[in-house]
Amino acid sequence: MIQVPIKEAVVVASGLLLLVLLLATCGDRGGDVASLRPLVPAQAGGWQAVDGGELYDRESIFSYIDGHAEVYLAYGMKGCLARRYTGPSGEADIALDVFEMASPADAYGVASYDRDGEPVAIGHDGRFRYGWLSFWKGAFFVSVTAESESAAARDAVLELGRSVAALITDDGATPPLVGELPPDGLDAGSVRFLHSQQILNTHLWLGEGEVLGLAPDTSAALAHYLRDGWSAHLLLVDYPDRGRAERAAAAIAGRLLAGPAGGGPALGQDGRWHGVQQRGGRLVVVIGAANDELAAALLAEASAPIGGG
Amino acid sequence: MSRRSTVITRRDFVRVGSGLAAAGLLGAHRPGSVAAAEPARSRVVLVRAQDALDAAGAPDGASLHRMLNEAVTALLETPSPSDAWKRLIRPADVVGIKTNVWRNLATPPGLEEAIRAEVVGAGVAPGEVAVDDRGVLDNPVFKRATAFINVRPMRTHHWAGLGTCLKNMIMFVPRPADYHGDACASLGAIWKLPELEGKVRLNILVMLTPQFHGVGPHSFSPEFVWPYKGLIVGIDPVAVDATGARIIEARRREHFGEERPISPPPHHIQVADTRYGLGVSDPQRIDLVRLGFMEGALI
Repeated sequence: MIQVPIKEAVVVASGLLLLVLLLATCGDRGGDVASLRPLVPAQAGGWQAVDGGELYDRESIFSYIDGHAEVYLAYGMKGCLARRYTGPSGEADIALDVFEMASPADAYGVASYDRDGEPVAIGHDGRFRYGWLSFWKGAFFVSVTAESESAAARDAVLELGRSVAALITDDGATPPLVGELPPDGLDAGSVRFLHSQQILNTHLWLGEGEVLGLAPDTSAALAHYLRDGWSAHLLLVDYPDRGRAERAAAAIAGRLLAGPAGGGPALGQDGRWHGVQQRGGRLVVVIGAANDELAAALLAEASAPIGGG
Repeated sequence: MSRRSTVITRRDFVRVGSGLAAAGLLGAHRPGSVAAAEPARSRVVLVRAQDALDAAGAPDGASLHRMLNEAVTALLETPSPSDAWKRLIRPADVVGIKTNVWRNLATPPGLEEAIRAEVVGAGVAPGEVAVDDRGVLDNPVFKRATAFINVRPMRTHHWAGLGTCLKNMIMFVPRPADYHGDACASLGAIWKLPELEGKVRLNILVMLTPQFHGVGPHSFSPEFVWPYKGLIVGIDPVAVDATGARIIEARRREHFGEERPISPPPHHIQVADTRYGLGVSDPQRIDLVRLGFMEGALI
């Protein structure tokens, strides 16, 4: 039996532990944006990476993205890998940004922030518009942007996107709350998932102030409906406790209905129909329905399942 | 014995409204002066020039300098540009030129240089003028500035709806994100900070290639800028921004072929008027002076 002094044994064991942790981290390509860095392709089409990529955290992201970082922070961004590629003569750069979010639901949420564009079969909800490809997969939101459009740049953007999508092994799932939106008349391209009033404001303006008390521990799904030519917005919010949901219901009812929540739809000063229901931790709000029948139907259908706390 | 200042300060503007301030301080004779109850009006100059951009679409410094001088002369109704600049800036002033370095749409260096040259031409020592954006809190000239000139390009913005002259001062607070709530409604409060209040002498909204829509993490696509070739110049930041906002809204209607309101609504402009009293947001009370070509002006 080989005798190993205790001190050396501790050093060896510590080293082995570190190695195991490192291998585990590197092997989990769906769990750490830093581990993707050495795997991301150095070229795509005629475009060549200018460096190995930069990593940004929740603080340093502000130095990279001016004025837009809070979108990612609102979805619990953990880190961002940014890599630039230079193209053939006459072609503009391509920027690759891989954001690691708090969860697959948050990656879905970021992707739902901007749903314009032509669908492409890359990752989940892949979209291409104006030289910009975006998709989500696992807990990652991936953006590939050609700073000027051309056919060659489009091909390179899509090639790079496919390569990065293949590196992400976790698939992720759509947030369950989104699945609770009534399907009849749902405009799938309008569905947003979010946790913040600021994000909601960019999609639907409910007036000044942060009336709904949205926070990282609340989840909201917003969608536009069109039934028989009549339109409305539906907002579902899950709060972790009934009290917060009640307070939000009272506040939004005061704004939209000029009265308490819980009754049927009411005609607002804007000539549209609004409705507010709260059951347990779930808030259901119909905003701007063209008629009371549509508002009542959406309230009833969305209020059927009880979610949240 | 007190002397009446011939320099327009923010405090003067806030007290009486920009149009009235200009009239009073410039010694203009307006018989039967406006009754106190009458809402203030603001004067804004839109200047456009075909040669503001060169054949490659790059800003032309000489053209921008000329446009700037035409604008301030018309704004202050002076006989010459130098008279206008001397109304705006004292030789003893320490001047911070608050620019914007956003990578995709920065304030053109040629315009920064033109402003600097005119400030120095008004008698300010060259060492007492600085141009800065993100370093304003640490810039020694900005820290002791007695006057600011605010210059930035107009663009859409995720939190404020629009990146405006009002918003350009957000770098004067250590945590800009604190002002992002409620679509940046409280941006006007920044203009009330002691280091800024009463010191912003001129606002220049660069409309050379304004951005009317944003996409992606970097909020930019060449698809959503167009060669407007203009500057909007005024003492009143609210009136300047309100005028720029009308142009962006019109361009969005034109481009998208439908009403596509700016999202979130840039209500910080109106709030700067109604809550903070920084100027006039109602187009009916903005006297717009138009210089240069007006084809496709959209307002």
